[in-house]
Amino acid sequence: MTSAGAPNSINRRPRVSPTLISRWLTWIYVTLVVIFLLTPIVVIILASLTSTSYLSVPPRGLSLRWFEAVLNSPSYRAAIASSLTLACASTIGATCMGTIVAYGLARYRPYGAQVLGALFSAPLIIPGVVSGVALLQFLTMSGWRGGFLPLVALHVLMGLPYVIRSVSASIASADPQLEEAAWTLGSSAVKTFFLVTLPIIKPGVVTGAVFAFIISMGEVAATIFVLTVRQTTLPVKIFSMVEFGVDPSIAAVSAMMIFVTAILLLVAEKWTGFHRFA
Amino acid sequence: MSRRSLNPGWLLSTPALVLLSVFFLIPLAILLPTSLRPFNSSSGIQSGWTLANYVAILSDSFYAEIMLRTIVLGVLVSAICLVLGWPIASVIARSQSRYKFILVLVVIFPLLIDVVVRSFGWIVLLSDKGIVNELLIGLGITSGPVQLIFNFVGLLIGMVHLMLPFMILILSSAIRAIPSDLEHASATLGSRPAATFLYVTIPLAMPGIVAGSILVFVLTISSMVTPRLLGGPTYRVMASTIYDEFLQLLNWPMGAALSSLLTAIVLVLVVLSGKLTQKWSPR
Repeated sequence: MTSAGAPNSINRRPRVSPTLISRWLTWIYVTLVVIFLLTPIVVIILASLTSTSYLSVPPRGLSLRWFEAVLNSPSYRAAIASSLTLACASTIGATCMGTIVAYGLARYRPYGAQVLGALFSAPLIIPGVVSGVALLQFLTMSGWRGGFLPLVALHVLMGLPYVIRSVSASIASADPQLEEAAWTLGSSAVKTFFLVTLPIIKPGVVTGAVFAFIISMGEVAATIFVLTVRQTTLPVKIFSMVEFGVDPSIAAVSAMMIFVTAILLLVAEKWTGFHRFA
Repeated sequence: MSRRSLNPGWLLSTPALVLLSVFFLIPLAILLPTSLRPFNSSSGIQSGWTLANYVAILSDSFYAEIMLRTIVLGVLVSAICLVLGWPIASVIARSQSRYKFILVLVVIFPLLIDVVVRSFGWIVLLSDKGIVNELLIGLGITSGPVQLIFNFVGLLIGMVHLMLPFMILILSSAIRAIPSDLEHASATLGSRPAATFLYVTIPLAMPGIVAGSILVFVLTISSMVTPRLLGGPTYRVMASTIYDEFLQLLNWPMGAALSSLLTAIVLVLVVLSGKLTQKWSPR
């Protein structure tokens, strides 16, 4: 199964290592690391299925009561709604702005494009806690604390670098002659962008949007400083709950987040051949 | 293309640039002066200027220990991820198995799962009544529970789990960039596999090794959530101390000083990493 599809199978070169033993050892090692990577995730799913009122792994008696408890709990529902609202708003913002920025930088190559690119990726580089406390101080000074807008702005800025990067990659591989053809045929710049460029770079836009959504759904380090209690997002709620002790409802809501992520990953893989980005 | 009139590239970037300035660059800029303010625990932030906060971080044994712990954690996590990740990365880069994409997805999947959720998973595994301890006691390896959480061991396990996918992805693209012909040539000319690895593969993968290690170090010292959850409120690193100073102790000047120092370390390393990668990239 390994070398069947190998190119150049005609000129047989001496192979470096693959003796059978070393291949077996490699796959055993790969399996062990895969187990390490997946164990905490599997454990959460197991823990969420318990019927006991305390956390127990393996679960004692299978039940979905904790999923029911989460979905019926007003505070969890508020947190889920808050997270989804924030993630949708900031994904739309980051995707639109990021696509426009990436397009502007790639097509017009303005003076200082590199500096702009570096500035936009700064929110990825600066530690989240630092962005968070800086924004907390700024919002306190300006009296904007508690608004929804600063929160969206923070999440847009966190998602922006991912959108810019994936859209830039799409633009780089697109043929600029197609746009030139549209221009030559009398299409306006805006019309060309929407009818020619956008369909071509769609995979990059979609990948960027998926990333922006996932980043927003998971951001805690900076968000926790900016939130008011009323705006508490799901991961921030889990974070504060875990600090005071663990219970099966946390496992259930975590398991739900894992399922959603898995579905998103599979959709992205199906749509764009995600694994090739690795 | 004329540069005299305003380039549309700048025009298109303007909305995002305004957002970035108002909600990121300006807040960061005004955090710096806060770090130079004196602080008094009874009356709060004072007027005037002082370097006392920075002096305290470097001389006070409480903060010095936190700094040292943060750096050691970063170095160890990078080293462990490098060693653990290399074989996986080379399988991803070199294997021609049809099922390789499953491995890639398994590596990416944890990366996409919420950091809070993953840390919670480790709490379930590592706590006194967790699975690992039950297993150790059940197998008769230890008589009582071993403390695996709220200490360095817990932090190390949690952070390696967090960082391993990053390291694997960077290493695998570095290894893929090495023409495998070079390794074959080395083998054909009589090198043993170990020599080929040491004198051909490693030097050629060096840009990836350095970039991956610096990235993992930077991300490790920057992370707050996992250290806070797996270290608890008492076993602190720099980032979780910033959280405490701002939200619990309300000592903003000290928190700002720690933030500035952490940011400075991160920026220096990121610039260094960029310079090194540039130097090595083939032109």
